[in-house]
Amino acid sequence: MGKPKHYQPPGKKKEGNAARYVTRSQAIKLLQVSLSDFRKLCIHKGVFPREPKKKVKGNHHTYYHLKDVMYILHDPLLEKFREIRAYKKKIKKAKAKKNDELARLLLSRAPSYKLDMVIRDRYPTFVDALRDLDDPLTMVHLFAMLPAIDRLKIEVKCIHNCRRLCHEWQAYISRTHKLRKVFVAVKGIYYQAEVEGQKITWLAPHARQQVLTDDVDFNVMLTFLEFYEALLGFVNFQLYHSMNVKYPPILDPRLEALAADLYALSRYFDANYKTSVQEPQVAGSSISEQEQEESNLRLAQLQRQLPANEPGALMHLVQDAASETEEDEATRDCKNLFQNMKIFLSREVPRESLLFVIPAFGGIVSWEGDGAPFAEADDSITHQIVDRPTQGHVYLSREYVQPQWIYDSVNARIILPTEAYMVGRDPPPHLSPFVDNEAEGYVPDYAKTIKELQAAAKNDVQPFPGMGNDVLDNSQNMLAEGYISRTEAMEAAEKKQKMMLLEKQYHDDLKMELQDVSSINKQSSAEDMESKEELLRDVQQSAMDSEDLSRLMMSRKKRGLAKAIEMNKQRKKDHVEKLKERKRNIEAAQKSEKKHKKA
Amino acid sequence: MNHQESQRPEKVNPLEMRDLGFIESGNNDGLDDNHDQDELADSSQSRQAVDESDSSEDEVAPRNTIGDVPLEWYKDEKHIGYDIAGKKIKKKERQDKLDSFLASADDSKNWRKIYDEYNDEEVELTKEETKLIRRLLKGKAPHAEFDPYAPYVDWFKWDDAKHPLSNAPEPKRRFIPSKWESKKVVEYVRAIRKGLIKFDKPKEEPRLYLLWGDDSSSADRTKHLAYIPPPKPKLPGHEESYNPSLEYLPTQEEINTYQLMYEEDRPKFIPKRFTSFRSIPAYENAIKDSFERCLDLYLCPRVRKKRINIDPESLKPKLPSRKDLRPYPVTCYLEYRGHEGAVLSISVEPSGQWIASGSKDGTVRIWEVETGRCLRVWELGEAVQHVAWNPLLELPILAVSVGSDVLILNTGFGNEEQQRKAKELLQIGTPTSSDDSDDISSVLSWLQDEKHDCIRLRHFRTVSSIEWHRKGDYLSTVMPAGESRAILIHQLSKKLTQRLPFKHHGLPVSSVFHPTRSIFFVATKKNVRVYDLLRQKLIKKLETQLREVSSIAVHPAGDNVIVGSKEGKLCWFDMDLSSKPYKTLKCHPKDITNVAFHRSYPLFASCSDDCTAYVFHGMVYADLNQNPLIVPLEILRGHTSSDGRGVIDCKFHPRQPWLFTAGADSSIKLYCH
Repeated sequence: MGKPKHYQPPGKKKEGNAARYVTRSQAIKLLQVSLSDFRKLCIHKGVFPREPKKKVKGNHHTYYHLKDVMYILHDPLLEKFREIRAYKKKIKKAKAKKNDELARLLLSRAPSYKLDMVIRDRYPTFVDALRDLDDPLTMVHLFAMLPAIDRLKIEVKCIHNCRRLCHEWQAYISRTHKLRKVFVAVKGIYYQAEVEGQKITWLAPHARQQVLTDDVDFNVMLTFLEFYEALLGFVNFQLYHSMNVKYPPILDPRLEALAADLYALSRYFDANYKTSVQEPQVAGSSISEQEQEESNLRLAQLQRQLPANEPGALMHLVQDAASETEEDEATRDCKNLFQNMKIFLSREVPRESLLFVIPAFGGIVSWEGDGAPFAEADDSITHQIVDRPTQGHVYLSREYVQPQWIYDSVNARIILPTEAYMVGRDPPPHLSPFVDNEAEGYVPDYAKTIKELQAAAKNDVQPFPGMGNDVLDNSQNMLAEGYISRTEAMEAAEKKQKMMLLEKQYHDDLKMELQDVSSINKQSSAEDMESKEELLRDVQQSAMDSEDLSRLMMSRKKRGLAKAIEMNKQRKKDHVEKLKERKRNIEAAQKSEKKHKKA
Repeated sequence: MNHQESQRPEKVNPLEMRDLGFIESGNNDGLDDNHDQDELADSSQSRQAVDESDSSEDEVAPRNTIGDVPLEWYKDEKHIGYDIAGKKIKKKERQDKLDSFLASADDSKNWRKIYDEYNDEEVELTKEETKLIRRLLKGKAPHAEFDPYAPYVDWFKWDDAKHPLSNAPEPKRRFIPSKWESKKVVEYVRAIRKGLIKFDKPKEEPRLYLLWGDDSSSADRTKHLAYIPPPKPKLPGHEESYNPSLEYLPTQEEINTYQLMYEEDRPKFIPKRFTSFRSIPAYENAIKDSFERCLDLYLCPRVRKKRINIDPESLKPKLPSRKDLRPYPVTCYLEYRGHEGAVLSISVEPSGQWIASGSKDGTVRIWEVETGRCLRVWELGEAVQHVAWNPLLELPILAVSVGSDVLILNTGFGNEEQQRKAKELLQIGTPTSSDDSDDISSVLSWLQDEKHDCIRLRHFRTVSSIEWHRKGDYLSTVMPAGESRAILIHQLSKKLTQRLPFKHHGLPVSSVFHPTRSIFFVATKKNVRVYDLLRQKLIKKLETQLREVSSIAVHPAGDNVIVGSKEGKLCWFDMDLSSKPYKTLKCHPKDITNVAFHRSYPLFASCSDDCTAYVFHGMVYADLNQNPLIVPLEILRGHTSSDGRGVIDCKFHPRQPWLFTAGADSSIKLYCH
């Protein structure tokens, strides 16, 4: 063996936690950067402190893993940061010498850095990036609502970029019907979308003037924002690419000026999507002849000389069918929620959110203002979203509802009756779609009514093409016909298997129950004496005793764990009890009020 | 035209301007500089002025042409000089003085006449000339029209210049190409060609491209530490809604109570209700929340923690079913009543037929176990601390500690021969003065008690516990306050007493003989010391890690010891295993008062001041590799508390799996299986 790489004096060899973890100041010394640069590097590279088992330097330090530090050290970003630092000195020097010309020149040629490789490094696959997209989306949505402030170095360009990224993301989600849940909270509007199997939840603040606070270090936030903007840009690019739409989109300047970006984007999609979808089909049909339908289409196209940019009805059909096969059931559900509805937004409702949500669930939407697709006077409007105490002029052909109706319908996945959401009424409580009521142990009243409505709607609606029993049975035949794609067949088969399993389990359970009864009878006759003895004693006491006794033999760690679990359970129970008590109080108050009124 | 030309190159580098100047140096009027222009104008003006002055002098050409030479040179000549044509000008004839005087007197205008020596003629001054002269003499400007104080008109345009231009002629360098400049130009040209100087490019946007490619399979994680994804923020519940159900809104009173809480305990978010969409205000902590999230992301140590979603049932250790471990005492079968104070101690006769009890009321009673009948009562007058049956069946005697005395009572059971033996034993013939231990005799005396017909061992401190040796001849007593003589061992047959030949550490609490070997256990408050009596050596020190030991019991096999403590903990020591407890059970919330092993069944029990007694299954295997099995079996209740004390003593029946407990409520209970 050769010499060791670094000489360690005997007895001073570092091993274990002392060698593996370094404190922050050690890391800075190692990297030879300033603290602020170190922070930036940590944020960009996603390096976070770690908790060593043994804190060698003491409890009040933050520790970084040495490998993490090396990971920063080997990144070209570090060299770039040093370069920037040196360059800044040049500018400072020029300014100090009153050489404004040179300073300006230098400023215009300042070195910059790109984050693409960093993103690639942090998120090797696209799904990884999607998984961590919650924070970027929330942050970018927040900054899209902030004013540009020179003092805080929030630039107009940055805000505009944030707004653009938000709109692009929303347009994609809306277009592909991937939105699943919406929740209007005090903090803002929570959206949850499912992209490539990843649930992405983000918070968009309400469209109000945001409150700026002084106790916030915007440098840190802007560093995060810088990374998030880059990440979101690449994610959007990937998503648009998957839809065969060019990125960045070129928007209609008129609509852009009217601040109807989202609508402009959807128009852009319409224009691009159709042409782009058409191209691969044409190519595919020319290469392989396996699908007769498509070649037929090609023939028809050639014969009828269909214009490329305005495909006919047949085109639409094929396109829909093609996209249908890719989509899963939930997407189809979402797509058809507001189908055949024309919704008009009044001036006072939050336009941006609704323009995003309604098309995501298959509705057609317009608003009051320039550039709107249709005007308020349109007869075919079925619903008008209104948020004012009274509505003056009323069209009888449409229903006037409050915006909450949209959100509640979306979360329930059914069209809720509109009576409760009429203009001027207090709407029913808006419930969070993120809560599992059963697990929580308390079901609010309105959740129960929604459940009933859902059950009623399920019985009403004809069996869905993907879910009906006949389809389930005949899936094999259909495959032979080449009607449904292979993946769907597999899905159906899986479902069938599952149902079989469930049925079997149910039968087993029944059998077990029957057997149990008899066996218990036998046992009881044999142990009659004993059971009598047992009965004499206080049952509850014995239960408690046995509990105590079993706890006695647990190790201390497990005992603590069991205690914690129990406490947690108790806390939940207390919370539910509190809610129930409040509800009782409220009901009692209401009753007494009614009595008063009667009297 | 010059002006037009000069206007053209408005913003040209000085360098270029120089070049231009150089090229067009032929007509240097073409210089665009205001400076130069002014200079030009100035020079022409000054030239004009010079001409003017010349012309005024040359109005009348001088007759004489000699120039500026001394006139003395022509003093003696006949001519004064030469005219233009070069002819001599002759001197005039000199008038004599008289004539000239007369002429001047006659001629009134004579004073105007001046003799011009140079031209040799008389000049008559005109009126204007005289005026001029007069003004000059007064020191005024010669011309009357001239205004010396005329308002100043600044003809110079001070555009950029600091000083009015000099009159200096154009230097030569202005007319030849600059060497240094041409060098600089060459330098620049070379730099541009080499690409050292870059011209401003249009700023390119950050380029986006397909970063992850089309295939999602290329998942080659860098050889880096495992990435721990940040925990997702908690999803909002019903209470965060802008329009929550009414039951989620805290009442005003509840909100007020939040103010009384510590800041950490206070709920972060208080639900609010807005009846319409338009009334929702901006969330005031939006930026702060976002910032805090950022801080969490890059400053918080991230640790992958397993979510404990365990069924609490699964935490319980796998123990054999209690049913399989029967028999063990389960229910209260009998109660022995009769004492009027707390029963402090009980002891079962080795055959299991009788039970003796000592109480605080100063009595010792003997009961029949199966019927609960009280057979005998001794009134001793003082609280009975401890009672102990002699372990020999054929010697029915009872040791009782009362205050600082230990009485050895004859119970009167057994057949005649046994009675005889017992009586014989309890007779002190001649008080033998022990010669080898003087210090003992001073603190302890063997006395004959006539009243109860028994032996009285008078100690110097209160005796807290008595323990018989298995052979029934030796008897150890513990006086916690006895210091170096706290533990004494008495020999009944020889009426001898000896001190434990070891140094005492700490306050002794209790002492036990080993059930088979000559080993002696002494429990102090912290530790248990194990001595070999034959070799007179310390064998082992058991570290209980308890705060205060209250009782000790030895397993009938002798290798396992249980120790009860006043903090309610029970320690099981496996002496072969280690000097640390094999298992510590925290079973009682209050002091453990006593612990006991069963002699034949694998059972042990502890009783406590919380009015309960625990019965455990404690199986010791012959195989050394197998650890003892401890299973809690039953909690026995039934006693009531008095004076903060509950069950004070517990003893197993020697044959049956029965447990006797003595309570502070002056009752003794028998629990049977």
